[in-house]
Amino acid sequence: MNPPDAATRRAERLLRWYPKVWRSRYGDEFTELLISEISERPRSWARTLDVARGGIVARLTRAGLCGFAADPAAQVRASLVSLGCCLAVFLPFGAAMWSQLTIGWQWSAPGTTATGIAMVVMSAAMLAFLVLALLAAVPVIWSVLPPIARGPSADLIAPSVLFLAGVLALFIGGRHFGNGWPGTGGHPWAHRALVPGGLAAFSWASTMSVSAYWAHPSALAAFPAAEIAWMAVSPLAVASAVTGAAKAVRRADLSPGVLRFEIRLASAACAVMAVFLAGCCLWVVDGGAGQANLFHAGTIDLLAIAVLTIALAVARQAANEARRGGLRLTVR
Amino acid sequence: MPRQQEDDPGAAPGLAGLGRYAGAATLILASLADSTKHGYALTKDIESFAGVRVAPGTLYEALARLQARGLIEAVESQDRRRPYRLTAVGAAALRAHLDAQRRVADVGLRRLASGWGTA
Repeated sequence: MNPPDAATRRAERLLRWYPKVWRSRYGDEFTELLISEISERPRSWARTLDVARGGIVARLTRAGLCGFAADPAAQVRASLVSLGCCLAVFLPFGAAMWSQLTIGWQWSAPGTTATGIAMVVMSAAMLAFLVLALLAAVPVIWSVLPPIARGPSADLIAPSVLFLAGVLALFIGGRHFGNGWPGTGGHPWAHRALVPGGLAAFSWASTMSVSAYWAHPSALAAFPAAEIAWMAVSPLAVASAVTGAAKAVRRADLSPGVLRFEIRLASAACAVMAVFLAGCCLWVVDGGAGQANLFHAGTIDLLAIAVLTIALAVARQAANEARRGGLRLTVR
Repeated sequence: MPRQQEDDPGAAPGLAGLGRYAGAATLILASLADSTKHGYALTKDIESFAGVRVAPGTLYEALARLQARGLIEAVESQDRRRPYRLTAVGAAALRAHLDAQRRVADVGLRRLASGWGTA
């Protein structure tokens, strides 16, 4: 084996730790440095670990979760996209827990005050999420529409189509399977529950994929094929909507004013996530006593709380980085 | 102790905001103070004057941060090994940082001499 070729191959393997954008900027020179280093010291675990760590940091920087970008607007956009991704994980898991409880309340009120308070807190947080989502969407749509209207712009049309397709699929599937569920489908504006039954059923149907049944294949196999298909497809619909929105935000020419507004909403979203998580924890700690185990907290709910906690931690980091970038926007 | 934030828009573009990369950044800027150098030349030069070998990942993280702050800039080159040079802002930041370090060193050495005598 020719030693320089081996060094080149190893250098190129190490380079894969870094994101594509970083490689296109620094790839050649970094490879040359690695080749020289490897030729001088063929084996070094410390060097491998250092490069791996550097690659992860570069990826986190690209995602707006750490570091310092030359362009503050790009840093803010990246951080906002990361926060959006965190919400895309947080909301399905959160909505799955919330809909379980609200559907239970269609039949009977919770047996303890703590679970009742938890449900009120979670419902208020869900309403706040909706308001924040609308407030966040309006200026972005306002910025995206004019360039599209001026002429076909694949940069913005493709992400917009991806976003709309995801939202449409979620809406149609959620309506279809929500209405088909006998527990709430018959009375969309329930008279005795905390939230309208139709809304609870829609939320439940949209988040059917967050289910303990994945761990019980034999029970899952007894489900209608259409439901199993929907459980598999609905996360893809969420992914499509989030990918489209993320690409639109990255590509749209958002003004500093819009970015600063979105940064404030990002901080508010983190606060609402924390409130929602507190409600979830209150319910799970209380144990969810009630008639016929309607409010029983299971292992899937503990798992969901772990996911919500991680999503909140990453979202806070993203919001902090967005705020740092926003401060630099102010002075330019 | 208040932490020097990277996000202070009013702060001078110095080295304090580089956090854990400030050490590597100082070495890189000091190395570039006399001439342009590419990555491997920087590594060897720093090793020769500071006795420290900066690992490749750390070196390029610091280079990227210094470049983003405008303290160094890449020089156009046909070679795959792109050289870097100090900017005027980088030179001012390095001078301010080294002056502060020298004041600390002077005080420490003076107190050592008065308390422990000369070696």
